[in-house]
Amino acid sequence: MLIIKKYIPLAIVTIVGLLTLATYYVPAKASSAYLSTLNQWEVIVSGFAFLLGLISLLMTHYKKIAKRVDGWGYSLFVFIGFFAVVIPGIISHGAQAKDGVLTSLGWAFRYLYNPLAATMFAVLAFYIVSTAFRSFRIKSVQAFVLFIAAFILILGNVPAGQMLWDAMLGWTGICGIGDIIQWIMQVPSVAAKRGIMIGITIGAAVTSLKIIFGIERQYMGRD
Amino acid sequence: MKKTELLLAFFSFLFLCPGLSFALNGKSNIALPLIEDAIAEDMPYDSGGDILLRWPADEDDEGVVYEIYAKTESSENEWKLADSFKAFEKTADKMRMPFWAWSHGSDEYAVKIPIKSVDGDADIGTVLCFKIKAFRDGKPIAESAILCASSDDNWFNLPRLNGLLMVILITAAFFMTMSRAKKKGLFIRRIAGLDAIDEAIGRATEMGKPIYYSTGINGMSSVNTIASLSILGEVSKKVAEYDSIIKVPHYDPIVMSVAKETVKQSYIEAGRSDSYHDDANFFLSSDQFSYAASLDGMIEREKPAACFFMGYFLAESLLLTEVGASAGAIQIAATDSESQLPFFFTSCDYTLIGEELYAAGAYLSKEPMLLSVLKLQDFGKLFMMLSVLIGGIAIALAAVFHCDGFVKGLLDFFTNY
Repeated sequence: MLIIKKYIPLAIVTIVGLLTLATYYVPAKASSAYLSTLNQWEVIVSGFAFLLGLISLLMTHYKKIAKRVDGWGYSLFVFIGFFAVVIPGIISHGAQAKDGVLTSLGWAFRYLYNPLAATMFAVLAFYIVSTAFRSFRIKSVQAFVLFIAAFILILGNVPAGQMLWDAMLGWTGICGIGDIIQWIMQVPSVAAKRGIMIGITIGAAVTSLKIIFGIERQYMGRD
Repeated sequence: MKKTELLLAFFSFLFLCPGLSFALNGKSNIALPLIEDAIAEDMPYDSGGDILLRWPADEDDEGVVYEIYAKTESSENEWKLADSFKAFEKTADKMRMPFWAWSHGSDEYAVKIPIKSVDGDADIGTVLCFKIKAFRDGKPIAESAILCASSDDNWFNLPRLNGLLMVILITAAFFMTMSRAKKKGLFIRRIAGLDAIDEAIGRATEMGKPIYYSTGINGMSSVNTIASLSILGEVSKKVAEYDSIIKVPHYDPIVMSVAKETVKQSYIEAGRSDSYHDDANFFLSSDQFSYAASLDGMIEREKPAACFFMGYFLAESLLLTEVGASAGAIQIAATDSESQLPFFFTSCDYTLIGEELYAAGAYLSKEPMLLSVLKLQDFGKLFMMLSVLIGGIAIALAAVFHCDGFVKGLLDFFTNY
């Protein structure tokens, strides 16, 4: 049993991991064919897994409705939304437009899904404002530095801010607010980003080795 | 016909023929000087998609325009213009290759012609023929002989040798640190965000409220998702020990299937398999904003005591954490998506930066084998810091003393080809 549960999956992970790593250094046609096959398998597995996801989604909401838990009414909308898209999808054979005319599925996407997705994205603007308000409360030296950098960036990106800067400090002739913004974005910001990215890359490489050589096995359950 | 008329007809024919031929072809048939030593060959170290043409560059080439014509060997078709460039634009030293794989310099031209640009049906082994023509002021001044070659796929990408050496080095260091881990323990610095997990779960237990754990919006093939599942295993084990409730909403159905096993295993390890519910993991949506809207709704309604956001996130990061913050939950985030880090910093109580996401599983599990690998991450960072410092100084010194070859060699070694 241990062979089936542990050793065979580990052997598959190690072999496939090493082969996939090797494809980066082997440009031969066999290498790209191997990668293409793996991608096809992933698509097939994803297809089956999506069915699992769908069952999970519908069962979760069905239970909520059946047990009348708080907010069960929202679960009704899951079913309404599901059938409102699936039935037109079946009728129109998955096509969103036919001869330049929107099908019912296309209509659902254009007039229901797209506005809803755009609304969610638009909400982000308000959340950014509320987050900025919270983070600009100066409690430490770091928060103060963050505030100063953000203040300069905000000031420099609106015409009124630029005019204000020129009126107050333009006479010094040292530099414009645009130069300061450019410096902040290109020097300290890039330096910090690169530091983080180097750390991430090393972390990802080491984690990959842990997975390939079977040291990290949490994703397949322990022994 | 008289003799004079015959002579006139003969001379007219003699003078008119070349003119007629020129008018019909648009080109003169007068033999042009030959571009010597031109060769066509398979492009080395590639997957067989290109043919390489090389010929010597002459100092007098200033103002010359080269045109390369191509066709398949078997085709009856006209020559097709495959490339055109001004003199010295495509010399061999401009080919993106490191010094250990490419020794040709600026004294010759090197042009890569994709075989599909010559013939859409061309494949490895298809023989293609090329003709190089040189023009000055729009007039042809030289041309090469017809050069034929076929492409082939290669078994080793030599320019990537530096990357391979680095992988071998990291792998050797990986096994070395692991072997040392068995002998003695290691000091690992404290990570506040991970130490706060106990506090967050304890709070949830006291309040009788659930804990939400999001694995992000990447699939199972991403390393960050696997790292997130390692943390999920440790978090759910603690949740099981505290007899609290964990809810793991998913963006990807494959991740959901794996996470189910992970959580179940953690409950078994904690000796609380009776407390495990299969619906702890559930699928929401594979659409970014639908996922965010759905999870936001749950957080808003259920007011969880703690929210964990571990994995890869995009624009939905702030949509999730702002709602969590307004619901009063302790929020711990970890991501390697550096563009989302500022949002997590400002809206979460604790944020693990980049590499800490990969270290978290090992840190929480306290397994010597996994902990030892953290040391390797530190060695990697030390190596990078020294490389940047020494490399920076070396390049600056080489620039001062005009050692261009040394600078190129050093930069080649740290370039990804």
